[in-house]
Order: sequence, then structure tokens, then C-alpha cells
Amino acid sequence: METINQEIEKREDELRKIRLAFLNILEDTQEAKNLAVEERNKTMAVINNFTDGLLVIDKENKVELMSPAIKNLFKEKEDNILGKNIFKINSKKIDLKPLKEILKQKKEIFRKEAELENGIFWEISTSRFDFGEKKGMLIVLHDVSRDRLVEKMKTEFVSIAAHQLRTPLSAIKWSLKMILDGDVGNINKDQKELLEKTYSSNERMIGLINDLLNVTRIEEGRFLYKPEKMQIEGIIVNVVQECEEIIKMKKVNVKFEKSKKMLPPVIIDEEKMSLAVQNLLDNSLKYTPEKGSIVISLEQKKDDIVFKIKDTGVGIPVDQHERIFIKFFRGSNVIKLETEGSGLGLYTTKNIIESHQGKIWFESEEGKGTTFYFSIPYKV
Amino acid sequence: MTKKVLIIEDDKFLRELLGKKLSSLGYNVVLAVDGEEGLEKIKSEKPNIVLLDLILPGINGFEVLEKSKKDPTINEIPIIILSNLGQSEDIERGLKLGAKDFLVKAHFTPQEIVNKLQAVLN
Repeated sequence: METINQEIEKREDELRKIRLAFLNILEDTQEAKNLAVEERNKTMAVINNFTDGLLVIDKENKVELMSPAIKNLFKEKEDNILGKNIFKINSKKIDLKPLKEILKQKKEIFRKEAELENGIFWEISTSRFDFGEKKGMLIVLHDVSRDRLVEKMKTEFVSIAAHQLRTPLSAIKWSLKMILDGDVGNINKDQKELLEKTYSSNERMIGLINDLLNVTRIEEGRFLYKPEKMQIEGIIVNVVQECEEIIKMKKVNVKFEKSKKMLPPVIIDEEKMSLAVQNLLDNSLKYTPEKGSIVISLEQKKDDIVFKIKDTGVGIPVDQHERIFIKFFRGSNVIKLETEGSGLGLYTTKNIIESHQGKIWFESEEGKGTTFYFSIPYKV
Repeated sequence: MTKKVLIIEDDKFLRELLGKKLSSLGYNVVLAVDGEEGLEKIKSEKPNIVLLDLILPGINGFEVLEKSKKDPTINEIPIIILSNLGQSEDIERGLKLGAKDFLVKAHFTPQEIVNKLQAVLN
């Protein structure tokens, strides 16, 4: 009897322990659930208050999740977006084709800009995720229309100002030249010397205006660029030819080493590429002392055509290498040389090369020379 | 034979400078200050050549060019654009409309303009 009672008590005790264990488990589960809900709310709060448009699509391209900003960007109701295939969403108010074109690309995209329609610009980024069963893609849409508008207004302003400045500069140029040419009577040697200096200052101003116009053109011309398939070689030959007079005057030896084999054509905008090459050659000519040498070459390297211009000029001080492509920056050593320059050439060139999906870089040693390179991919 | 040159230019100083230069070289110079007057003078004066600015009050230089090329009584008269525009689109548009040459004012001296003008006249 006693043993039976003891046995029952033991069982009861065990049951109590089991009950307690269950309660603990239940409590843990509840806690975990609460935590999960809290996390979810947090994530949703972040998504809901995100100023950028966020979209999560599953592997069938269906929209699983969207931030409220998407409604404004797509100008559509949530019902017409959520749960729908992203490629089949059609907004009545905005053509989403440019977005779909970008999303068709298999690779991930980082801040690629697209013009949806006149004046509406989005910066699009995508990121793929793969949690085993769960595959999909996160799309971030950042509206940059306002930034583009401000930029456009700025470049328009500079463009108008620059064009307006040209008229009085032309008047100064013409009248000085007529006085210098003796069209309005003779002038003495001292007067002539002074006027010649004035004339060349005015020429510098005209050059500066040209540079400014080029910069604004580059900045506003991001989208309107006339690509054509052609050889870079011809462009270089032309640019060198145009500089012949300065080359002779400066007594610098300029050589263009053409590639031995025929190079593949690349897709370029002739006018802009000429400007880029011209700027690099101008720099070399400007900063290479008499009897120096400049060697230009062109070769194929993997998927790129690589342009190289090597001079025996004054070089770029090491501490300024980082700033060389910044707008209006000029090297401290060349400012001392008093050669003219606006600090816009390399900035413009870099923009041009990058708008061709190319890269630009250089090697330089102060007092020995500088080599600039740029590469343009030919398989695009 | 004295050649007659029509200068269509709204800036007074530029007009006078160029007029002076051309007169001193023996040209017969006619001046116009805007597009309407310019077009009228191409018709009435029948110059041997026209120097045409683009940004003008009233009808602009492109329109003057277009209208003159459509008028069979004056479409043979050569027109040289002399402007401070100079982007490739402007140049392309000007040449397509029938201009003989496109000169950016700030890039040419009066003598160089005269040389260009003579080249077209010959």
C-alpha cells in the first residue's frame, strides 16, 4: 500500500514538472511570437515611412510587398500593383516601359537612372535575395526629377550667360584687331604691345567661355548623345592635325603610334570624343616644355580600346593626384607657370569618357611627365 | 565691280565695326537690325552676299534663312551665318537650311570674316 502511494506521489510530481515545462515552452513561444510581430511592425513602419519606392517581387515577378511611395510613383492604386506581375502592371498615367526594360536585365543594378517621361527621372537599384525556398528581388526607386530640374535650370542659366557674354567679347576682339591691323590709323610700338596683350587676355576669356559651354553641354547632354560605330583612330588623326600650328610653335615632338592590327570599332559620339582627345592633347602641349615629346598610342586590351598619351611635361604633384578631375581645379605647379587654363578640361574629359562607359586614369611624376589613359569598351 | 554686302545684326557696335571694315575694303555695305528688315533688304537690295546673325529680335536668323531659300527671287543669294551660337545642332541646322558657312563671331577676326566672305563670293 505504502509503495503504491509513494508511486502515485512520484507520478504526480512528474506530471507537475511536465506541466510546468509545457507552460514554460508556451511562454517562450508567445514571447518569440511577440518578438516576431514586433520585428514585423518595425520593418513595416520602416517600409511605410520610406520616402523611396520599395518593391519586393517573388521569383514569379509578382509584387509581394510595396511601400506607399510606390502608389505616387506609379500613379496607381495599391490594388493594381500588389500581387500583380511587375511586367504586366500598366499605369494609365505613366509609361513604365523604361523601368521594365531595366528590370529585364538579369544582373543587379545600382542607381541606374531612367527617364520615365519628360521630366520624370528615377534612380533604380535592384538587389536579388535567395533564402533557400524564398527567392526574389528588392527594387528601390528614388525619384530624382527635382534634382534633374534644378540641374537643368543651372546649366541653362550658364549656357545663356555664356552665349550672352560672347557678344561683347566679340566686339572687344573685333575692335582691338582692327586697331592692331591699322584699319583706323597707325599706332606706335608701345601702344601695339599693350593692345596685343589686351587682345590675348580677351582670347583667354573667349576660351574660358567655350570651356564653360562645353561643361554645361556635357552636364545637360547626359541623355542626348549621338552614338555611332566608328574607329577612334580617325578622331585622333584629326585632332593632332588641328593642333599642328601649336605643335610647330612649341617645338614639341608629337607622335601617334597606331596599332599594328586593325582595331574593332567602338560606339562613340564623335564630337564629344574629339573634345576629350583634344583636351588631353591640349594639356600635354601646354605643360610640356620646348623640345619635349608627346606619344599617343591606341591598342586593344581584352574588351577595351585603350588610349594613351604620354608626355615629358611638368607632371602633377603627388598630393594633388586625387583632385585632378574636379571642376575648376588646377595643379599648383601649373598655376605658377602662368599658362592659361580654366580647370575644366579634365573634368569635361572624364565626363565624356564615363558617358561612353569608359574609364580614365593617369600616372604622373612631377618634373618628369604625365601619362593619361582612357579605355572604351567595344562590346556594348 | 563693287560687291554689295548685307549685314543683318542687332548689336549696333558689331554692325558698325564690320560695316567699317568692309567699307574700307571697297564693299558696298547695307545694314539691317532685325529679321524683318533683313529679309526685306535681301529682296529690295539684292546683295551679292548676306552676313546673318541668328538671335535677332522678331523673326530669328533661322527663319530669315528659311524664308529666303523658299523665295525663288532671292534663293540664289549666298548667306553666311555669323552668330554666337555654335553648338553642333545649330551649325547642322543652319547648313541644312542652305547657309554657305557658319562662323562663330567670337572665333573670327573681321579680316578672317572678310576672307570667308571672299571665298564664297569667288
